[in-house]
Amino acid sequence: MHPVGMLIDAVRTVRRWIGALVIPGIAFLASQGFGGRTLALVLLGFVVISVLAAVWGVLRWRATTYGVSGGAFHLRRGVIQKSERTIPLERVQSVDTVQGVIQRVFGVVEVRIETAGGGGDEPEASLSALGVEAAETLRREIQGSSGEGFRPDTGDEVEPGPEVIRSLSTRDLFIAGATSGQIGVALSLIAVASQTLDDLFSDSFVERIVTTLAPRSISSAILLALAVALFAWLLAIGGTVLSYAGFTLSREGDYLYIRRGLLERREATIPLARIQAVKVVEGVLRQPFGLAMLRVESAGYGKDAGVSTTLFPLLPREEAREILSRAAPEFAVEPPLQKLPRRALRRYVFRAALPVLFLVPVLVLISAVALDSVSGAFLALLLLAPAVLLGWLRYRDAGWALTGERLVVRSRFVARVTTVATRRRLQSRSVVRSPFQRRLGLATLRAQVASGGGGKDVEVVDLAEEAARAIVERLGPRTAAPGPQG
Amino acid sequence: MKREPAQRLDPRAKTLWRITNLLGMLPLLLGAIAVGFALFRIVEMPLPVAALPVVVVLALIVLAVGVMPGLRWRRWRYEIRPEEVDLQRGVYWVSRTLVPLARIQHVDTRQGPLQRRFGLSTVVFYTAAGPNQIPELSAPIAAEVRDRISELTREQDEL
Repeated sequence: MHPVGMLIDAVRTVRRWIGALVIPGIAFLASQGFGGRTLALVLLGFVVISVLAAVWGVLRWRATTYGVSGGAFHLRRGVIQKSERTIPLERVQSVDTVQGVIQRVFGVVEVRIETAGGGGDEPEASLSALGVEAAETLRREIQGSSGEGFRPDTGDEVEPGPEVIRSLSTRDLFIAGATSGQIGVALSLIAVASQTLDDLFSDSFVERIVTTLAPRSISSAILLALAVALFAWLLAIGGTVLSYAGFTLSREGDYLYIRRGLLERREATIPLARIQAVKVVEGVLRQPFGLAMLRVESAGYGKDAGVSTTLFPLLPREEAREILSRAAPEFAVEPPLQKLPRRALRRYVFRAALPVLFLVPVLVLISAVALDSVSGAFLALLLLAPAVLLGWLRYRDAGWALTGERLVVRSRFVARVTTVATRRRLQSRSVVRSPFQRRLGLATLRAQVASGGGGKDVEVVDLAEEAARAIVERLGPRTAAPGPQG
Repeated sequence: MKREPAQRLDPRAKTLWRITNLLGMLPLLLGAIAVGFALFRIVEMPLPVAALPVVVVLALIVLAVGVMPGLRWRRWRYEIRPEEVDLQRGVYWVSRTLVPLARIQHVDTRQGPLQRRFGLSTVVFYTAAGPNQIPELSAPIAAEVRDRISELTREQDEL
């Protein structure tokens, strides 16, 4: 491993220790007062931890060796308890590289090796610091790919190598953040943060802030709410910029490469053969502008499912097919969809309205008890309208198509999602009927694809029963012409 | 879609499910008795009102022990075809599932302590998307089904 590995391991150890010690440390400081002696004591503790961590880092670095031989990747490590791990090359799912801030400073990368059966959060093998060249050599040894490698370094994108399919422009990056719909997440983060601040600061301090900021009238309350919303929105944009900056999708042979990240650079590999399904996600904020995000379900790729499965964060909807035909041609289809029968509409509307219908008696009861009136009923009616609208939208957007070997399904929960799956990747197909569906001659079609450690369902709810049965039949194994099995 | 799958589960399954459902409902019954007792003694409600939770839970038990196992058993069918495993199950939501043998990665049989008493056993087969089960087969049949699935899976792989 690259000598910088010592430093990185040491920094990590220090970080972990500080994480564990910061609260007792603060408590200690607070109880003793900020005298010179206590401060010195804390500093001394810090120095001791750092020195120990540095020694530990050196020892670990000396103990870690790796190599590829005899068709397997070997990793030896461990200071006190020695361990040796062997991963057969054909089991390797992906070789990803991550470049944190420290690693970028020293021009090294962390290499993570994942296997199909791994699961869990940790990669099966991880090397915290390799030179760029060494990482590239290792990757080529493991994946056995000929041709030029992909350089996870700055500035030399023009080098021969994988074909860049699309990169995210700065403008699109900000649009992606602005329309990400992560405002809700950011809002809850703010709520949590304000809670923690409440806990951390003394009561009088909080009181002072509250009294200065306290809404004196309704207009200032609205202003405050707007300010919080704006802040949340900026946070959402910031989060997107951090993780998606410089997003580049490229392909070389049977591998897709995804590179992204502003401070921490990540490069992920997706073998085309592992892609189980492709999704075009049109968020509510994006659909009106004809924008969408591309996602892939790939097998044995468990950790941070959210981001690692983003194939491209933002692109015009019409270009999705063109991008897919270059990135994953197997999934590049956009056939006209079969609509659901009209009799499914009332089931869709009813399902969407059901939560509100449950809410009605509760609201009526609350308003009757608290306000001595049944005005809550009006509020409930107000909620009912959007719920019904959502149900209608879900019905209108639902559809399916079979083209050759592919099943295409479109549905909406909030965002509109079009899923493309191939027959050979379907792990099972089901037709499910409730008594109500049976009465209407409807059924739910459910096909399972592998995703991460488990499975994901691709569903069409309330299509005609005969159609569901016919689809299940047509997506069955072909005994005459068996293809390569997944 | 082809005709219903041909095979049924072992008839002893009904008895086993009655026992497991009864055991599953016992905590609920104890809870209901406690609530009823509290309503009667502490809140001092009239006996018929206080007994209501217990009555409701007893009705649920009759349903879970008397009715459901029979319905469930009647619906449960399976068949191992040369290319696919065909499953039909569900009392309210009736589902019919086809799993291609070529997608099956491995097969287990399992036996819980109660199942052992009845000589029953569950076949579990795994695809990349997770496990599927055929529960409550008599142990020799379960072993047969397991071996047949694994044999057919191997054949499919060689194609």
